Amino acid sequence: MSHNDTIPLYQSSQSDIDEIENMMNGGLQSGPGTVLPARPPSPIRPSIPVSSSPFVQSNLPPLPPSSSSVPAPPSLPPAVNFGSSEGSKTIGFGSPPNTLTEPVWDTVKRDLSRIVSNLKLVVFPNPNREDPGKALRDWDLWGPFFFIVFLGLTLSWSASVKKSEVFAVAFALLAAGAVILTLNVLLLGGHIIFFQSLSLLGYCLFPLDVGAVICMLKDNVILKMIVVTVTLAWSSWAAYPFMSAAVNPRRKALALYPVFLMYVSVGFLIIAID
Amino acid sequence: MDPNQPPVENYANPKTCLFHVLFKGAALAFYILSALFFNSFVIIFVVTVLLAALDFWVVKNVSGRILVGLRWWNEINDLGESVWKFESLDQESLARMNKKDSWLFWWTLYLAAAAWLVLGIFSLIRFQADYLLVVGVCLSLNAANIIGFTKCKKDAKKQFQQFASQTIASRFQSTVQSAFTLV
Repeated sequence: MSHNDTIPLYQSSQSDIDEIENMMNGGLQSGPGTVLPARPPSPIRPSIPVSSSPFVQSNLPPLPPSSSSVPAPPSLPPAVNFGSSEGSKTIGFGSPPNTLTEPVWDTVKRDLSRIVSNLKLVVFPNPNREDPGKALRDWDLWGPFFFIVFLGLTLSWSASVKKSEVFAVAFALLAAGAVILTLNVLLLGGHIIFFQSLSLLGYCLFPLDVGAVICMLKDNVILKMIVVTVTLAWSSWAAYPFMSAAVNPRRKALALYPVFLMYVSVGFLIIAID
Repeated sequence: MDPNQPPVENYANPKTCLFHVLFKGAALAFYILSALFFNSFVIIFVVTVLLAALDFWVVKNVSGRILVGLRWWNEINDLGESVWKFESLDQESLARMNKKDSWLFWWTLYLAAAAWLVLGIFSLIRFQADYLLVVGVCLSLNAANIIGFTKCKKDAKKQFQQFASQTIASRFQSTVQSAFTLV
């Protein structure tokens, strides 16, 4: 949409917002300030649509709405994800995806599907494991939250005495452990993002959750040991690529050993609970 | 009825306002009253933290959008860097936002954080480490929302100022161009 050669001499009935948007889009294509990264667009992830214009046209009706439900957004193509510096907006082409006026149910579904996809990426074998940084791009802390609480509850249920202490200890151990492990990687000079790593370590607890449930149901010691060993190996296998890719190869063991240690101690907690 | 009285602006989104306050209040009330009814710390912890987490989600995703037209989240771009993204409605809609709604939004956010702080000080005085854990989790959730939305509001103002000056400049440019083409 380049500048017109002739500007209409009559006032069009466009709203102010449309006019501003047209001028913005027109200015975008001729402006030297916008820098497009020279790489193919990233694959469309089933997650957050990026706001592609600074201002989102509001769907608020001019009359005060009587209910809090918002109108459904128009169906929009997903915008290409441009890298941007901290805090600044991205500017894109065409109509912007509108997360501000989507219905609440859409938000819920989007978050739930993100949890499921993150779980699948981390815990189950998939082709993205070779490029660990890409896999947990859309980190979220809901999954880890549920898994930690669930593990604490399971351990607490299995315990016959001091249930509260068991829960508090399990929760504090897992939460503080995740934070300390992340700090460990950062202090070793590794490149990892704090929340991404927390999210990863939380998701890797899923196998241990499964193991804890099985141990709660069957009280056989041999079975418990086998189950815990298997799930422990699974958890460590899940965490390995992400942690090892984040640090210098010579310091891989230093980064991985504490992770393994934490999962082993959780495993002992599961076995020893009676 | 006094005909000279100016019409009082009502809440524009009463249901959203209710939910905004509901989970916060429920978490605080449950925490304070539970000591009277429940002996088990586990239940107190799980229910309080669950309510606080639900409140965090509601404020971040629903009431922030509807009551003040702001939204914030964090993404990791292709270069592996962490990027904070902010989104806001355009200035016209922001100005049209119900004043009562946004007043309620911000003040309940601050009050809840202050209340958790006070409860945290109490449990610190009584040396109850496990209750301090609960308070710590709830406080950090509230603080995250406050910081996120404050940053978003500042960013929206900055964006609008930048945008306004950009618009004026390009409008001037197009006016000058049209003047030349018409000659």
